[in-house]
Amino acid sequence: MLDRQGPTGGPARTGGIRLFILRRILQGVLVLVLVSIVVFAATQALPGDPARAILGRGATPASLAALREQLHLNQPKVIQYLTWATGLLHGDAGRSFAAQEPVSTYLSNRIVNTGFLLVLSGLISIPLSILIGAYAALWRDRPFDVITSLATLVFAALPEFVVGVALVLLFATTVFHFLPAITLIPPGGRPWDQPIAIILPTLTLVLAVTPYVVRIMRASMVEVLESDYVEMARLKGLPERIVLRRHALPNALGPTFQVIAINLAYLAGGVIVVEYIFNYAGIGGALRDAVSNRDLPVVQAIAMIIAGLYVFLNLMADIATILVTPRLRTRL
Amino acid sequence: MADTLIERPGDLAATTLTRRRLLINAGVLAGGAMLAGPLAACGSTTATNTGGNPKRGGNFRLGVTGGGSGDIIDGQKIVNKPDQARLVAGFETLLEYDTHYKLQTTGLAESVTQDAPDKWTIKLKSGITFHNGKPLTSDDVIYSLQRITDPKQGLFGTAGLNSVDPNNITKVDNLTVRLNLKQADSTIGDQLGQYYNGIVPVGYTRAGEQIGTGAYKVQSFTKGQQSVHVKNTNYWRSGLPYFDMVTIIDFPDVAAQVNALLSGQIDAMTDVPAAQITVVTGHSNLAILEGQGADWRPLCMAIDMPPFDDVKVRQAFRLMVDRNAMLQQVFSGHGRIANDLYSPFDPAYDSSLPQRHQDIAQAKSLLHSAGKDNLVVDLHTTDGAAGMVDSANIFAHQASAAGVTVNVHNDPNYYGDAYLKLAFSVDFWGTRNYLPQVANGSIPTAPYNECHWPPKDSNYISLYQQALKEVDASKRADIIHQMQKLEYDQGGYIIPMFNNLVDAYNTKVGGFNNGSKATLNLDSFGHGYRSIYFTS
Repeated sequence: MLDRQGPTGGPARTGGIRLFILRRILQGVLVLVLVSIVVFAATQALPGDPARAILGRGATPASLAALREQLHLNQPKVIQYLTWATGLLHGDAGRSFAAQEPVSTYLSNRIVNTGFLLVLSGLISIPLSILIGAYAALWRDRPFDVITSLATLVFAALPEFVVGVALVLLFATTVFHFLPAITLIPPGGRPWDQPIAIILPTLTLVLAVTPYVVRIMRASMVEVLESDYVEMARLKGLPERIVLRRHALPNALGPTFQVIAINLAYLAGGVIVVEYIFNYAGIGGALRDAVSNRDLPVVQAIAMIIAGLYVFLNLMADIATILVTPRLRTRL
Repeated sequence: MADTLIERPGDLAATTLTRRRLLINAGVLAGGAMLAGPLAACGSTTATNTGGNPKRGGNFRLGVTGGGSGDIIDGQKIVNKPDQARLVAGFETLLEYDTHYKLQTTGLAESVTQDAPDKWTIKLKSGITFHNGKPLTSDDVIYSLQRITDPKQGLFGTAGLNSVDPNNITKVDNLTVRLNLKQADSTIGDQLGQYYNGIVPVGYTRAGEQIGTGAYKVQSFTKGQQSVHVKNTNYWRSGLPYFDMVTIIDFPDVAAQVNALLSGQIDAMTDVPAAQITVVTGHSNLAILEGQGADWRPLCMAIDMPPFDDVKVRQAFRLMVDRNAMLQQVFSGHGRIANDLYSPFDPAYDSSLPQRHQDIAQAKSLLHSAGKDNLVVDLHTTDGAAGMVDSANIFAHQASAAGVTVNVHNDPNYYGDAYLKLAFSVDFWGTRNYLPQVANGSIPTAPYNECHWPPKDSNYISLYQQALKEVDASKRADIIHQMQKLEYDQGGYIIPMFNNLVDAYNTKVGGFNNGSKATLNLDSFGHGYRSIYFTS
């Protein structure tokens, strides 16, 4: 087997992986620090002044000055950044300008709601797309492959809001009427209290992510199936089942994990649109609201959450790729 | 802040409220052609929808446009539109406007009388209790008025009640309060009918428990999402309300709001966009409720800034507007054209002044005689209320016919920065009667005088002072007509139209008045959800 060709033995290998993970975590932290600077700078560049946005038409020079003082908007930007960044390290994301309460209090339920939607969509779309992609490659040019290729191409080309609106028209308002058009989460409630209300948002996100993963899985599986080592395994007389599971699938999954990570991270952004369509109370809606209110602490907190998610998912994908790819694993 | 509705002090307004009328309404005097009694009985142009007989119980689910992290519940203030829907569920005012925009004593006060130009007496109905069982007394009224007039609270009612001396409100007895004003003011009654001048119990704070006298009390509230209100079982209006529960849901996106109505997840919604009206009417179980609001989006010419310091330029600009076209383009025809004057529901509104129409030739000749051919002006606007940006763009297009170049600037920093210092700008206002509106926008002491009205040599201010002192309604109307004539001839406002409130509801809900002049959506939310019900 291929991993036997590696230069090092067992103990060195695990140490290599540990070191690799540690290095990647440190890189992730560095990325987050840089992101925090970019996020802070970007929110400063938002057109409009938070004090004005809060006071609206009632703004007078005196009330503006008082509010700026209260929000510490008069301090130098570097001090504002350092105050914010040290607060974050202590788990304190500041106070929401608009909600007049700690950002963590304001966002906690919304993070749970959005997280649940993302995890559920991921749990459905990942196995589903790996399965479809693998079988499409296996049954290349057969009807299953042709149909799924066409379908994935169509769904990949359609933006989430088109898919979401079409699903609402189809299942909730115009054609059939058996699913709720929006997701109402009562105060103190959780999205999983009413499973029927989360079907459409979940389905929209699944349809947004699955096509890309299916296509990359199919392509990578086709490549692996044509490789020398799979041919070798077949020639050795291994049963097809073993060939696929032990030799083909792990090697095809490597590149797929990277795409899954990127797509899941993309979901965190796509969820904004989906939350909008379904009036789903998550961080996407909060971000939109915060941007229009110039509620900088909330914008910054959500941007950091999404950035953190990107870093985390990429780290996971790298580790998973290493673990399923003997060639890479043994090189560490 | 496109979704945000920010109203200024005194959103509703003053009708000609005389001692006589209020006493008539209170049933103290007989005679007159006045209507008295419950709001539900009022209806001439209005038609109560007849979905069937009232059924008790149920959870009324209302979708309100807008809302977000800035949502509040306060008996005397709103930030976003859902806050209005929540305020009227729990809080009530001393006087109330009916569906014809007439002030009535259907609220907490048995009578409100002007004893002298600067003295008013409020007499409360007996037997009214707050949500916590505490009886409503003079002390609560005094506390409420002192809270409204405290500038530190930042409430809407402060400007409208600035003639009230907070330290000179006296308790005559347990149910009677006397206001000794700082100066004569005939508009106090109007202010007491504004929905945001709700009566709160002694010691009330926004952060504390939400205790009012309204039909529903707050059970739970999540900013930017929804609130649940449960029936006040000790409500002072016997037999009311009908619903067991009212759920108010925020909708930042109007498409989701329409979808929720279509799929039956909500029973009513505010602010149906013009493009979606046919979607709603295409469903047999849904209906549109159109209220004659008197919201307006003026184009404001500052009369002391060039080129508008020349009255001929102002007159020319008013003649360049095609009001019907603008109404069609901005509000798809859901409204009425206006005549550059505000407060159309005021009984003292002068409807005898000729309706102004587009007259490009006359506009050109006025500009020519003012020496302002080929004029170029900047028009500042912002996304502060629906129609503000559209009105500016359409005006710019219409003005080009008269050879005027209007450069529209859509500026997110408009309010608080350049606002009130601009020669030409767009603003927005809610419904008010004439004198309260003047106090807010048309005299030098008004907080939002965009046009810098009136001219220095004008007798407008002395007319205004006379009107405030005049206790007789018909004499006051004569003075108001003189003031309106001045604004009609020389004023800085271009008021092209008033827009309607277009809402939708499921026909299983009964009790709404179509065509109501209620200033809030859905017939002022079914009068605080007390006059609407599920039908059987």
